[in-house]
Amino acid sequence: MSVIWAIIRKDFQMEFRTKESITAMWIFSLLIFVIFNFTFEISRLLLLQISGGLLWVAFIFSGMLGLNRSFQVEKENGNLRGLSLTPADPGLIYFGKFLSTTFFMLIFEALIFPLFIIFYDIQLSLVTLWIIPISILGTLGFTSLGTILSAVAIHTKQQQILLSLLLWPLITPIIIWAVKTTGDVLSGELSAAFQPVMVRMLVFDVIFTTISYLLFEYVVQE
Amino acid sequence: MSQPVIVAENLRKEFGRVVALRGVSFQVEAGAFFTIFGRNGAGKSTLLSIISGMASATDGNIRVFGEDPAERTHRHKLSVISHESFLYDNLTALENLSFYGKLYQVADLNDRMHDVLHQVGLHHRRFDLVRTFSRGMVQRLTIARAILHNPDLFLLDEPFTGLDQHATEMLIGLMEALKSQGKTILLTTHDLQIGLRLSSRFMILERQRVVETGSVEGLTEEMLRRKYFSLISSGEAGQ
Amino acid sequence: MTKPYKSQSFYVLAGLLLVLIPVSLYMIFQWVPPIKASNPTEATAQRIFYYHVASAWIGFFAFFIVFLGSVLYLWKKERRWENMAVASAEIGTLFMTIVLVTGPIWAKPTWGIWWTWDARLTSSLVLWLIYVAYLFLRRYLPDGTRRANLSAVVGIIGFIDVPLVWFSIRWWETQHPSAVVAGGDGSLAPEMLKTLLFCVGIFTILYLLLMQRRMQIARLEDSINRHYKEWETLS
Repeated sequence: MSVIWAIIRKDFQMEFRTKESITAMWIFSLLIFVIFNFTFEISRLLLLQISGGLLWVAFIFSGMLGLNRSFQVEKENGNLRGLSLTPADPGLIYFGKFLSTTFFMLIFEALIFPLFIIFYDIQLSLVTLWIIPISILGTLGFTSLGTILSAVAIHTKQQQILLSLLLWPLITPIIIWAVKTTGDVLSGELSAAFQPVMVRMLVFDVIFTTISYLLFEYVVQE
Repeated sequence: MSQPVIVAENLRKEFGRVVALRGVSFQVEAGAFFTIFGRNGAGKSTLLSIISGMASATDGNIRVFGEDPAERTHRHKLSVISHESFLYDNLTALENLSFYGKLYQVADLNDRMHDVLHQVGLHHRRFDLVRTFSRGMVQRLTIARAILHNPDLFLLDEPFTGLDQHATEMLIGLMEALKSQGKTILLTTHDLQIGLRLSSRFMILERQRVVETGSVEGLTEEMLRRKYFSLISSGEAGQ
Repeated sequence: MTKPYKSQSFYVLAGLLLVLIPVSLYMIFQWVPPIKASNPTEATAQRIFYYHVASAWIGFFAFFIVFLGSVLYLWKKERRWENMAVASAEIGTLFMTIVLVTGPIWAKPTWGIWWTWDARLTSSLVLWLIYVAYLFLRRYLPDGTRRANLSAVVGIIGFIDVPLVWFSIRWWETQHPSAVVAGGDGSLAPEMLKTLLFCVGIFTILYLLLMQRRMQIARLEDSINRHYKEWETLS
């Protein structure tokens, strides 16, 4: 446990010094909202239908920035190799990086969501609170695979492009489920599918966190 | 101190078309300064990876402190210094040490950190970010990081790559200090002069095989140089 | 080492295909009665169904072999399992490409559009993307145990994701009632089913043949490179 904690603490120390990750993600999401506004001129009714998708496009595109940044610092001075040379279990190193990128993304999501509400005039109600568990489950799905695949990609020179190529198709299920449930929440009415889909997201998260935990050892081997 | 720290028997590493080691055997006694000479691609890095437990051999036997390095039980007794620092530019010197100290589960970490910072002469800069450090200071902090958990075995993988004269001298000074403390040191380099100056025993790797092994006693640099160049293939040698 | 370029299994498999492929073409174009369709083009286009489905089957099977090879590699650390996974990934991607090409050829005369975000087409496309990414990863890395490790990790994660992608996209389609397609009523005439199974059978033989060749090439490459290195050492 102390390994996980040490990695999270280290990442937060760096982040709160530079504020590079969270600020960049936030600004990037803001840009997505602005560009979206110009590229699609749509009615208010239609906007409500697609706002869930828009929110997740912002989350995930910005999340890619966060992931790349999070592993850039582990590459700069051979740090990932340095970590792997310590007695720490590689699975715990995975968990440390996984949790710290997840926390960064959740913080950024919490910071951009109010802006999203203002820009697209989302009606708030108690149902809106469901966005919190959805964001958590969706983000865990994204970062569970994102973390291990980032560690795969940093061994190549084309780190960023490769991460996108690998990660996007694999997280299709999470995107589908998160967009659907978010759509429900933003429309203020949960459909019958809401609960089972939440369970599916949880299953996805558990499967890929476990698999990644088990496989991370092979990612750092030489 | 009788048991050798590293025992390698007929180590092979082959994978498909890649042949990294073709049957390498050697021993490093506790407290020895053992230097491996060889060109890039001779197999030095692979050998160190196997000793540190980062890679596994295809065939043969390797024991480090009497155990299989792949089990990673020897990691807290081992330290690797390469041309990469493993440090985080956006952390302070103290934060970097504190981080690695936790991963190595160093006892009395706080005292130990101040101790090593004094040793490398960086105590007054402990609250400064590594990115504000000069190359020489980064090198010194790398050393502090490497000695923090008080390891018995040092693996130095081409540590002089990219160092200026001053930093090189500093690193040599450190190695001499470690040697006098009775630490076991394994150095890989293609710099014959430095290797000869420091080591008690040496080995020459060429084309993934051991071509020469022996003691440096009575060996002059000129003799070693002649031997080295006669053993490794002519012309393209000695980068 | 035996002479790897002369193998009996190759001639047996190739001989079988030489006979069976014309038989399958006869079955598809002559033996199976045409489906009831509003126009003759649609009925003819429907005949691509047999190779289309057989390709999809081989695609899935190949990706399973990638998974199997990846697991075996991480366990045994032997080159041949890596070679098996890679060979199967290449062949699987090839057959998925065939699926993605024949799908629209069938779709155009049947539904009047080249592409629709139908669950089967979309899943095939996503799976294709997963394995293309796998092949890209391999291109970006030099040969060695690191590449073998990393591609095995992706081969395992990718295959575990396959059913999740499949079911999530199916579910997603049911959420979009506007999506076209009713792709036949699902029941197949006995001749159709027999022809389909026959095609799946010969495509499996084709898969085995390609695998055998591809793995042989990999072995040859390794042995040539190794001989070259030995020679270099001696000189």
